This record gives sequence, C-alpha cells and structure tokens, in this order.
Amino acid sequence: MSLSVEGFQSAFRYAEMFWQGLVCTLALSALTVLFGFIFALLLTLIRRSRFAPLRFVATAYVEIFRATPMMVQLFLVYYVLLAGLSLPSYKMFGFIRLERFVPGVLALSMNSAAYLSEIIRSGIQSIDIGQTEAARSLGMTSLQTMKEIILPQAIKNILPSIANEFVTIIKESSICWTIGVQEIMSAVNSVKSATFSIGEPLVIAACLYFCLTFPTSKIIAHFERKMRRGDNR
Amino acid sequence: MATTGNLIQVKSLEKHYNNGALHALDGVSVDIHPGDVVVIIGPSGSGKSTLLRSLNLLETPSKGEILFEGVDITKKYYIDTDGKKKKIDINTLRQKMGMVFQHFNLFPHKTILDNMILAPMKVKGMSKAEATEKALGLLKRVGLEDRANAYPIQLSGGQKQRVAIVRALMMEPEVMLFDEPTSALDPEMVGEVLEVMKELAQTGMTMVVVTHEMGFAREVGNRVLFMADGKLLEEGTPEDIFEHPKHPRLQDFLSKVL
Repeated sequence: MSLSVEGFQSAFRYAEMFWQGLVCTLALSALTVLFGFIFALLLTLIRRSRFAPLRFVATAYVEIFRATPMMVQLFLVYYVLLAGLSLPSYKMFGFIRLERFVPGVLALSMNSAAYLSEIIRSGIQSIDIGQTEAARSLGMTSLQTMKEIILPQAIKNILPSIANEFVTIIKESSICWTIGVQEIMSAVNSVKSATFSIGEPLVIAACLYFCLTFPTSKIIAHFERKMRRGDNR
Repeated sequence: MATTGNLIQVKSLEKHYNNGALHALDGVSVDIHPGDVVVIIGPSGSGKSTLLRSLNLLETPSKGEILFEGVDITKKYYIDTDGKKKKIDINTLRQKMGMVFQHFNLFPHKTILDNMILAPMKVKGMSKAEATEKALGLLKRVGLEDRANAYPIQLSGGQKQRVAIVRALMMEPEVMLFDEPTSALDPEMVGEVLEVMKELAQTGMTMVVVTHEMGFAREVGNRVLFMADGKLLEEGTPEDIFEHPKHPRLQDFLSKVL
C-alpha cells in the first residue's frame, strides 16, 4: 500500500475525529501523569516504611506491574476490577466516554506508578545521608525532611528519567483504544473503516504523537536547566 | 562556669555493629553540665563521633542510657512530674541540640538565608520576617551578611561551616554538638571556624566538640575526654590531659599528635 495526496485529502476530511482523538490522548496522558506521580510518591514512601509487611506489599506491587504486559493490566482493570462498577455514561467535552476513559486512566496510572516509584527511589538514594541528618538534627520530621530537602534534590536528579517516563505514558496511552477509549489510535481505526486506507491516518497519528511527546521532553529539559541553579556558578 | 546539675548524662552507653562483633562504644559514661565546653579527642575509630551522634540519636545506642534534662531519650516514653506516661518526641529534643557536621551538610538547593530560616519556620512556626531578621543578625555575627542570597556552592569551606554553625543556632539550642567541624577544611580556613566556635563558647553555650585540633581543646575546652577503642580512657581539665596524661594510650596518642 502506498501513500497518496488523495489519501491524505480524504483522511483530512475526518480532521474533527483526529482532533477529538488528540484531546482524548492528551487528557488521558495528563491525568495518568498526575495520578501516576502521586501514586508513585505514595508507593515510594510505603516502600521506605518502618513496617515490613507494608514494604513487602508495595515492593510486590512494583515488581508485578513491571513484570506483566500493559495490555493484560488494562484488560484486568476494565473487565475484572471495574466490571461490577457501573460508571456514568457521561461524555466529557461531549465526546470522551467516561465509562471507558476512567478505566484507561486507572490502568495507565497504576502501571506508570510502578515505574515512576522505581525512578523516585533511585533519586532518593542518590542524595547524601548527611542531608537527612542535617535536617533531622534541626528538628524537622522525616516527612518535612522528605518534602523540603530530599525530594526537591532527588527530583532534579531524576528529571531526565521522569521526562522519559512521561513520553512513554503518552505513547503507551494508545493501547487504550482496545477498550474503546476514543483516542488517536481509535480515530485511525475509524478513518480506516471510512476511507479503506490505513497508511495516511497512521502517518497523521504518528505526527500527532510526535507533537505531544517532543514538546513534553523539551519543557522538562527547560525545568531541568532552571533547577540546576544551585549546582554551578 | 556553671557546673550545677547535668544537662546531659550518659550512662554505660554501648553501640554494637555486626550483631555485636564490633563495639563502637563500650560502656561510656559522661556528664555534661550547662556551660561546659567538652572536647573529645582520640584516634580514628575510637568512637568519638559515635558518642556525639548518639547524643541526638543520629545513632541508636545498643545499650545504656542518655539522660537529657533528666529524661532518658533512648526510651520511647518517660514519666513526667505528675506521674503521667508521656511519649518522647525526638524532633523536639533535637531542636535543643544543634549539630555541626564535618561535611557541613548545607542544603545545596537553597540559598544561605533559606538554609537558615527553613527549620525555624517549619518546626518552630516562626514568621518569615522574624526568621529572616534573626538569620541576618547571625550572619552578621560571623561576617557573612553579604552572602545571604548566595547558594552554598558559591561559598568557601570555611564560610560554609560558619553558615552551618549559625543555621544550628537559629533553633536556639541548649547545647551545640560539633562533629569534627574543621576536618574537611583547607588548613587556611580552620582558624576562621575555630574563632566562631571560641566566640560561641564565650557566650556560655554548652558545647560538645569532637576534634583533632589540640590547640582548640587546650585553649577553649574546660574538660577534655580521651577515647580509644570505644572506651572513655581519661577525662580531665585540658591541663590534666595535656600536661599530666596518665593512661599510656593517651601518652602515646599525644606524642603522635603534638
């Protein structure tokens, strides 16, 4: 199959669909990044808990989610975990179906939290123990020490890895079309059915994903430079 | 110097590593009175730092007691004067014990001013204006008021350590613990840090100092402890220790360092 100008012209007639797919992918990724990061922080704190059974549960969670395919996790969330729950069939922005979208965000967040927590853990370990000792000797609690002293420094060190994970989330979110989330890949599929050609919609989808991922890594690189203030002068 | 009562009382303190194979502290007892400047000397690995770090529980002792203002802080609870069982809050205790480290441990992502006002604001609930005023006053005292907005990386080692000292003073501690404060400094910067410590001692601050600076021990300390192999082998005034050392280990140590 080859690409043709006519093929793109007919695909572009469904620009609305791609636009909606783009918005959906963006919403999916943004929420995943948000929830995934919060969940990852919690996981990391639990993994550093004094209580061994809690540590075990959190570590087991991370290992299981890193060792099983994303699609299996997605289907388990959609068909098993949330099957009994009847989510409202409300449409966000008029086209994002919540009963598909929510399981998608949940599965993606649960998955990325496992990876992010590994990244955060390595970041925390990279900070000199003297920083913790100094903060604790000033009377700060372990939570204050984590929030004010360790995490700001750790996150600076792991920003490249976090950027990488965010970009991965955007790309991985494409898997959600398998449970009927109408994101970019779902738009590709619809346009394929309507125009009987797959090449052009795929090229358009690739461009759209690139337009999301490339700025993401650039924005984080900018923050990284900004946070290096205290390092060299 | 006031020597009535004990601020800190250490009783038969032990610290074991490797399931008891290594005794970093082997039954150390010492009393620290308000206004004392106690200098701990001894060869490397003698347990000086472990003892110091045990005082604010950066190290957890394996055995023995540490009484701070009469309360055994190695326990979880204490019985107050009304006979009530109360939880020991290590964070509150640590505010009363300022600590200065060998490697300064300033927070590199914060300016000098922010390094100083963070804990008073977060822990003591001091307002930013009040904390800033206090910090600038202390910085002036150590000649660094013009570096308030610099980051630690921009300071020399001696300047960093002076900041670390005043950062600890921000919490208005009752005792200051110094863990080899000049060991990581270039020789020409040792003097400026010792000068600040000397001035601090003259204000009546209770200090416990682990150091290799024998000149400081002799001049500023009112009591000198000699440790070796996790034991407190000799204790006395600087004159006792430096002019009339009794223990052969101390005589040997002094012959090497003086």
